[in-house]
Parts: sequence; C-alpha cells; structure tokens
Amino acid sequence: MDMIGMAIKIAILIAYAIIGTCVGLLFMGIGRKIIARVHNRVGPPFYQNFIDVAKLLSKKTNISHGWIFDLALLFSISGILLTLLFLPIGGAQLLSMDGDAFLVLYLLAIPALGFALGAGASGNPNAGVGVMRALVMMLSYELPFVITLIALMIYYDTTSLATIVKMQSIDGIKSWAITMPPFMIAAFAADMALQGMLMEQPFDIPVAPHEIASGPMVEFGGKYLGSLMLYKAIALVAETTLFVDLFLGGGVVMHSGVMAAIINFFVWLGLIFLLFVLSILIAASFPRFRIEQAFGFYWKYEAIIAAISLIWVYIMVIK
Amino acid sequence: MGLHNGDKMMRYEEWSKLARKASKKSLWMVHFCTGCGAVEMPPVMTSRYDAERFGITSMATPRQADVLLITGYLTVKTLRRVIQVYEQMQSPKYVIAFGSCTINGGMYWDSYNTIKHLEKYIPVDLYIAGCMPRPEGIINAFIKLMKLIDEGKARGWEKYQKYYDRYKENQRRVFNFEIKEEQKEEKNEEH
Amino acid sequence: MLDIIFAELIVAAIITFFVREKLAAIIAFFMSLLPLLALLDWASNYGFAIINLGIESHMKIYLAGVTLHLAITPLSWFFALMILPLFPVIMLFSYSFFKENDGFFALMLLSLLATFGILLSRDMLSLFLFWEMMSWSSFLLVYRSKDRNAIMSYLIFSVFAAFAILFGIIILWHENSSLLLSDILNISGKPGFIAIASLITGFAVKAVIMPLHAWAPFVYSKCDESFVAFLAGGLSKLGYYGMFLFLFSLKGVDILQSYMTNVSWNYLLAVFGALSAFFATLIAILQDDLRKLLAYSSIGQLGYIAIGFGIGTPLAITGALFQAFNHAFFKAILFLTAGIVAYRTGKWKISELGGLAYKMPFTFMAALFAIFALAAIPITSGFAAKWLIYEAAIQQKYVFIAPIMLIAGVGAFLYSFRILYGVFLGENRHDNVEEAPKSMIAALFILVMPLMIFVVFPGYMLDLMKPALQAAGMESIAHTKFAIETSLAKYNSIAVLITLMVAMIPAFIIYKARKHRVTSFEDNYLAGEPYELHKPSMHAANNFYKPLKKVVLPYLEPGATHYFEKIYNGIKCASNAVRRVYTGYVQDYAIYVVLFLLFIVGWLIWI
Repeated sequence: MDMIGMAIKIAILIAYAIIGTCVGLLFMGIGRKIIARVHNRVGPPFYQNFIDVAKLLSKKTNISHGWIFDLALLFSISGILLTLLFLPIGGAQLLSMDGDAFLVLYLLAIPALGFALGAGASGNPNAGVGVMRALVMMLSYELPFVITLIALMIYYDTTSLATIVKMQSIDGIKSWAITMPPFMIAAFAADMALQGMLMEQPFDIPVAPHEIASGPMVEFGGKYLGSLMLYKAIALVAETTLFVDLFLGGGVVMHSGVMAAIINFFVWLGLIFLLFVLSILIAASFPRFRIEQAFGFYWKYEAIIAAISLIWVYIMVIK
Repeated sequence: MGLHNGDKMMRYEEWSKLARKASKKSLWMVHFCTGCGAVEMPPVMTSRYDAERFGITSMATPRQADVLLITGYLTVKTLRRVIQVYEQMQSPKYVIAFGSCTINGGMYWDSYNTIKHLEKYIPVDLYIAGCMPRPEGIINAFIKLMKLIDEGKARGWEKYQKYYDRYKENQRRVFNFEIKEEQKEEKNEEH
Repeated sequence: MLDIIFAELIVAAIITFFVREKLAAIIAFFMSLLPLLALLDWASNYGFAIINLGIESHMKIYLAGVTLHLAITPLSWFFALMILPLFPVIMLFSYSFFKENDGFFALMLLSLLATFGILLSRDMLSLFLFWEMMSWSSFLLVYRSKDRNAIMSYLIFSVFAAFAILFGIIILWHENSSLLLSDILNISGKPGFIAIASLITGFAVKAVIMPLHAWAPFVYSKCDESFVAFLAGGLSKLGYYGMFLFLFSLKGVDILQSYMTNVSWNYLLAVFGALSAFFATLIAILQDDLRKLLAYSSIGQLGYIAIGFGIGTPLAITGALFQAFNHAFFKAILFLTAGIVAYRTGKWKISELGGLAYKMPFTFMAALFAIFALAAIPITSGFAAKWLIYEAAIQQKYVFIAPIMLIAGVGAFLYSFRILYGVFLGENRHDNVEEAPKSMIAALFILVMPLMIFVVFPGYMLDLMKPALQAAGMESIAHTKFAIETSLAKYNSIAVLITLMVAMIPAFIIYKARKHRVTSFEDNYLAGEPYELHKPSMHAANNFYKPLKKVVLPYLEPGATHYFEKIYNGIKCASNAVRRVYTGYVQDYAIYVVLFLLFIVGWLIWI
C-alpha cells in the first residue's frame, strides 16, 4: 500500500514537472503573440517556443567552454524543476510539506547560480556584466518581496506554503489574502517584485540584447540555450505560482473529490495566466530602467509600500 | 548487423527530417550590417512586415543564431569579421547574402578592396539580388530558404566543412598581411 | 591527564620554535591532534552521561597558590568539536605554505593550548588567564604581519575586551565572593546586569559584532591566511562561546530580563547582529581585496549567530550554534583558498586575478562548496542553520530583524559571485599557475566533509548540540535524522537532495543527447572581432558592482571605523597635550616634585 502510494506520488510529481514545462513554453508563446498584438503585428504562432526549443536541442554543433560551462545546463533545469515541485500547485501539495517559503526562495537561487557559473566560465566580459546586473536586480526586488512574505507569514503564523494555501482556502475566494486591505497593498508590491523576478521590462536590463549582447547567455547556443529556454519557461510557472500561493489561495476554490482537483487545477492555470498577461502588458508598454533606477524604485517606493503593509499586519496580529 | 545499421540510418534520417522541420520554422538570424542594407532590417522586423510571424527573430550573438544575413558590400577588413562570426555559429547554419554588392561588388565593383564574390570565401545558401532589395524580398528569401531546408538542399555548412582548406586558401589570398607573413616565412626558408 | 596535555603542548611549542619549517609542521600537526583525541577518549570512556553532568570540576591545577578548576561540559564539548579540528587542518595546510620557520607553529600551538583551556575552564580566573593567553599568542601572530594598522587595532581592541571581561569578573567576584562559574546564579539586580553587559561587550569584540568590528578588516586582510582561517573560524567562535556560557548556561539572560522587565535587553543583541549582517554584507559586496571581502563577509555571517543568541528561544539558539559550526568550516576553507591563490599568484586584488578554475580545479571545487554553504544553498549544510534562525525570527514576530536578515542573505549571493567570477572564472590571466600542493588540497577537503555530512543528516547536528542545550535547560527541537520540524514548518533535507538528483536526470539526458565541442577561451564572441588581433582585456572584474556602489556608498560612508578613528585622534591630541608636561628643564621637574609634596601635605592636614 505504501509502495503504491509512493508510486502514485512519484507519478504525480513527474506529471507536474512535464505540465510545468509545457505550460511555461505555451505561455511564452502566447506572451510573444500578445506583445505582437500590442505592437500591431501578427506575431508568431502560439506554439512557436516548442519549435524553438526543439530546434535548439537538435543543433548539430554545440560549443562549450569546459566543464564549469556545462554546470549551467545541469543545474538550471534540475534546480528549477526542484523549485517547482516544492510549491503547492492548484490543489496538489506535491512536496510542499517537506519545505517552506524560505526553502523555495533559496532553491530559486540554485539554477540562477548555476547559470551565473556557466556564464562566468565562458570568459566573455558581457556575460560577467550581465550576471552582475542580474544579481543587483535580485538584491533590489528581493527586499519588497521578502517584506511582503514576512507580513503573510506573521499573519498566518506559519512559513509553510502548504499551510498558507490551506488557510486561505477555508472559505473559498472570500478568504484569499488579497481580499484583505493590508495584503492588497502587499500584493501590489509583490507583483512589481514578480516583474523583476520574471526579468520582464522595465527590469530586463540584465539581458539587454542590443547593449551587452544578451548578457549572461552571450556564449550559449544549441543545447545550452535550449536548456536556458526551458529554465525560463519553468521559472515563469514557478514564480507566478509562488505569487498565487501567497496571495490568491493557491487557486484552491473547492475541497474534496476528483471534480474539485480538476477545477482547482484550471483555476490555478487561469490565475497564473492572468498574472503572466499582466506582466506581459506592463513589459510591452514600458521602456527599460537603468540598474540604479530599478534599485531606487524597489528600495525606496516598493519597500515603503511593503513596509506599510507589514506594519499594518503587525498591528493587526498584536491586537 | 547490416540491417541493424540500416535501421539506425533510417532512424537518423527520420530524426534529422524532424529536426529540419523544427529548424525551418524557427530561423534566428544575426544580421551583419555592413552597408546601406541595414536600413531595410527594421521594417522587416516591425509592424509593417513582421517577420516574427514566420518564426524569424534577430539574435544578439552568432552562438545563438542559425542564419547569417550579410547586408551589403564587404571589404577585405570586414570579410575577416564575417568569417569569424560565421565560424562561431553553430551548425546547421545558413548564409543569406543580401544585395548585389555581395554578388558582384555592386556599385563598388572596381574598388581595390571590395569582395566581389562572397561564395568564394564562405558558402552562401541564398542571394537576394537588387540594390536595394525590399523587405518583401528579404521575407521571400527566408521562405525560399525554409523550402530549401525542408528539402535538405541548404547544405552550405557541410560544404564548408568538406572544402575547408579551399575556402581557407581563398580567404588567405585576400588577407594581405597574412600573405606577407607567408612570404616572410618562405624567405626565411630560402635563407 | 589534562596537565600532561598542557605540558606536552608547551614542550612541543618550544621544540617547533627551533626546528625547520617542515619538521615543525609535522610535529605541530600531530601535537594539535592531542586535545581532540583526549576529548574523544574522555567521551568514549565516560560517555555522554558524565559529560552531561557539567558544572563540577574534574581536575584542578594548583598554580602559584591559585586553584584552576577545569572540567569538560556539554557546551565545551560542542565548541571543541567545532574549533579544535581547525588546528590540525591548518598545520597540514601550512606544511608547504611557509618558506621559513618564524615561530608560526609555536604560537599556533600556544593558541591551541589557550583555546583548550578556555573551553575547559570552570572558574572565572582560569577563564580570564587562558583568555589573555589566547589574546597575546594571537597578538604575536598578528604582529608577524608587520602592518601597523592591524597590530595597533588588534592590540587596542583586545585590551579593551580584556578590561571589559575583567570588570565583569570583578563585579561577579565582589558580589559572590567566589570565582566558580557555578556560583553566578546567586546574583541579580543592577550589579548583575552591569557584570553581564560588560562581559557580553568584551566577548563581542572577539565575536566581531558590528560597532566593535573595526579591528577585523585590518587584521584579517594583513595576516597569513592560515592564521586568519583560525582567527575567523575559531577565535570568533570563542567570543560566542563566552556569550553562550554567561547568557544561557549560567542564566545571564534571566538577569538581563529581571533588571527592567519592560525592556528586552537581548533583543538589542539581535538588533546589533542584524545590523552587522546587513551592513557588513553591503560593504563586502563593494570590496576589491579578496581578504577584505572575506573579512566583511565573516562579520556578516557571524551576525547571524548574534541574532540567534539575541532571539534566545531554543529554536534560535539551535540555529545559531549550527551557523557557528558551519561558519567555522566554510570560512576556514575560504581563507585557506585565499591563501592558496596568494601562494600561487602572489595577488589578492580580485580585479587582478581571474580564470584560475581550470588551472586549479580541486581548489575551485572546495571553494565552490564553501560558497554554497556561505550563501545557504540547500545542497550544503549552510541552509539548515539560517533556516532555523529565520524560523525563530518569524516565530517571535521580529518584524524588524527578519527582513534585514533575509536581504543580507540575498546580498551574500552578490559577494559570493564576486569571488567565483573574479578569482576563478572569466579571463585566464595566469599561464604558469599550477594546482595547489597536495597537503593544501587535503586540508581543504577535510574541511568540506562536515558541510556535506550535515546537509544529508541535519538531525545529527541537532543531536550533537542536544546535551549543550539540555545543560542550559532548553529542549531540543523536534527532529529526525533527515528532517527538522518547528511549529511553523518542516525542512526535510533528504527530500530536497533526492529530488535534485532525480531532476538531474532530464538535465543529464539533454546534456548527453547531443555532443558538444569544447572551445578555447580565445574563441569568444567579441562583436565579430578576432581575439588575437588586439587581445583586449576580457575580465569585467574591475569595479564590478559599480551601479550598486553609486547608489549605496553615500549611505555607508561614515561607518563605525570613522568614529573609532575620531576617538583615536582625540586620544592622540590629549596625549600630546599631556606630553607638554615633560619640558626637559630640571627646574620644572623640581617644581612638580615640590607641588606634589605640598599636595600630599595639604591632603594629610585635610584628613
């Protein structure tokens, strides 16, 4: 019985890893389509990113710069899959009982650090500059994000994402965190942080293609670039899911039964799609921030907004 | 055993057919803008002609790109860079030469340092004739290239591997200073 | 048995002073294993049950009419396991590090003796005696650097710390009329508060908590790396040992809280810890000198331990001790790596280094693991420690400390990458550099091992510190071999590691599905420019975090060091004024004598 339960769990995990990858690639394609429509273009077909990845992975020549360069490929895909599986997705808990939000924050660093290693190993100065910008950007957006995260943790008195989701789904949509005024403010700050996390405009200076030749991935081609695209696709799903878990009750609207699982899954899918479209629309309509401007934006305005929500929540909890 | 090998070959053919299907639908180009042809690229990419609907995107570095688009005339000096870029690309890779300059030197046909026949130095899969070709022409060329890839006829990169020393010899002939170095070596040998 | 070990260590120190450097290293290596073996022997003979008993003394040394009480306690057992293994490793590392024997090994053995003594001492006199012995032996080691700033700052701060500790001890002695540590429990009220506060201040100097950290960057960046590895890894832990001893083992924290009930004094310690974690991280990001960067990162990482002690719940203290254990090992690795880099290239500036990873792969791998532990990546044991401290902060709803601490954790990624990219990756600038000597590599990998073991079994680490916590009257938190559970969440290390392994499979399939060709560094994209034409500088390490520097530096400029310099200059001026008294004329001195006599006479009449 235990063995069967284990096998079912492993099957679910594998299924979610595959779903995450496919959904991510699909969203990226739809995102390109939306940006094209905003630009008054036709745009590529929505399945374009599947073709791109297939092409990159089937390239004949793949140029590496040594074994540290290869670490980028190995760590990026494995690290981001690991992160995805530690998040509660829809109704499914996956591995989220074995870790918590802090673990997810640090797991997100594994693929990023892996890629940074590979980029650095190529020896290209553009890669070094790009990684530097990405890291400074990370330092910038993490501050408001971390503050909102702590506000949530203090309110629900837990750090476990599974428990946060569970407590928000007691009463359906009415008990989602975003329905409470302090968390509305927090959600705004966290959404801006999400924009930086997804590295969409106006925070896409780390990969500015015309300035530093696409930054960290300047030397990546073939299977290396393909793995980067897969990483980006899964990261998109993981990061939006993190937001949904924190503020939108993980997309859980019904409780028990097979029907509930299916409905929860599609609600989750709809919510991360909405978040992604929001970020794409912001990206399509804003120019790029310089790194100092982004840093100032996050550490001054966003951090203050997040701090207001934290203080509000703290007062609520102390009462 | 032979049958097994044949099986393997069959499977490889099928795989490469699939790979070609993916490859033709997602052509990422790096455009080497030397001459006036560069001005035709923005309209190709933006709202008016929108090349992205065919999966054509411009990429920042040759490592990421499949198509090298050479827009305009080449001097001896720029040829060196073109070759560097071409060799850094990862096969399968294709070259589209743009404008009459790459075919016969164009309006610079009688200049002392212009490259007249590009295919002597790197394998060119497609030429776009005209001075200048319009954006429609460029998109037309890409669609033609897709057809060639699908039929397995765009094999410039294989040609470059096969006749590598001949291409190198041609390249060496135009790089003046390298010839001088060679002469020096020859003189040294004579002495 | 202990007196034999002490005697042997002293004899060995004298011998190593006179022999050649290789022989000295070998002698020092074997001698430095002695205390560790003695402790292990003790543990296996008497078992942990006896060690649990704690406070009463197991042995006494009679020295010039004074009794020194020495005993092994659960706390000293845990700290000994953390600090003592560093010594043999450092000796192994130093086997080929020094060109000549200039007393390093002798002084290190004396430091070991003093460390051992501090950990064992059960009365305040022996604690102070061994503390001073450790201070001056390490001062002599600092003195070898011949750098005035380092020597002066270390001397001044050590003396300050010694006075603070002595002050606390005198008050305690005055109130209790006993020097035994077990008698401190009787004290409370204002004297108790002052005594504990001054003891904590004294230990905070060695524990480099932020306003008292000013000596550390000078000393860490100028001394031999093999010594600094001990300084950052071991000596700083002794400061925290002292804090733990007086705060939790001897219930100093109760004294602090009973003094003014509405003020939580240990919260202040947590705030100082958080601020030092935050500011030291920001300063470390902007450094160019590898050793200075490591020094500031050390201050930042040690701040987490102070936070843990400041929060003071069993969860927080578990995290703090775990962090202390990890820090002893990963910071020692990083400083030894800096030593290897300097040994092979003679450079410390990150902007002048680069591309060493392919030349010295083993050094790189050890450094990579240490950096993973430093940045708390969950594939080394660094994560569990910080996770426990974060959990404790959330549990206590410390809304000021928690975000600062977390953002300092993110900042650690920035300077970690600065080390990785600036020193090991990027442009290869050193053609003739070889891999480090085998003894150095061995030293590094011995230190990597605990980081690898305790990521798989974080529960074992909690078992290890359980007696120390129980002796301090605290419950160990719920855990199994692989998982730690708090009231807020659960961390299962094996789930993370196995999932990572399994998730490696698709990555590995993609990696193996297509062949790749390894190209040289010269074949790099430079906008089409062939590399060999101009050979441009390819290393983007100079002024690496320039945009961040532009924003952050104005806020960091008037740091603590600035105020210490002001105090220093003030004292210098005052001393200069006093010096004017010595005019050099005999008449003046005669007048001083007459005035002094008159003063005495007047005083006697007044009485």
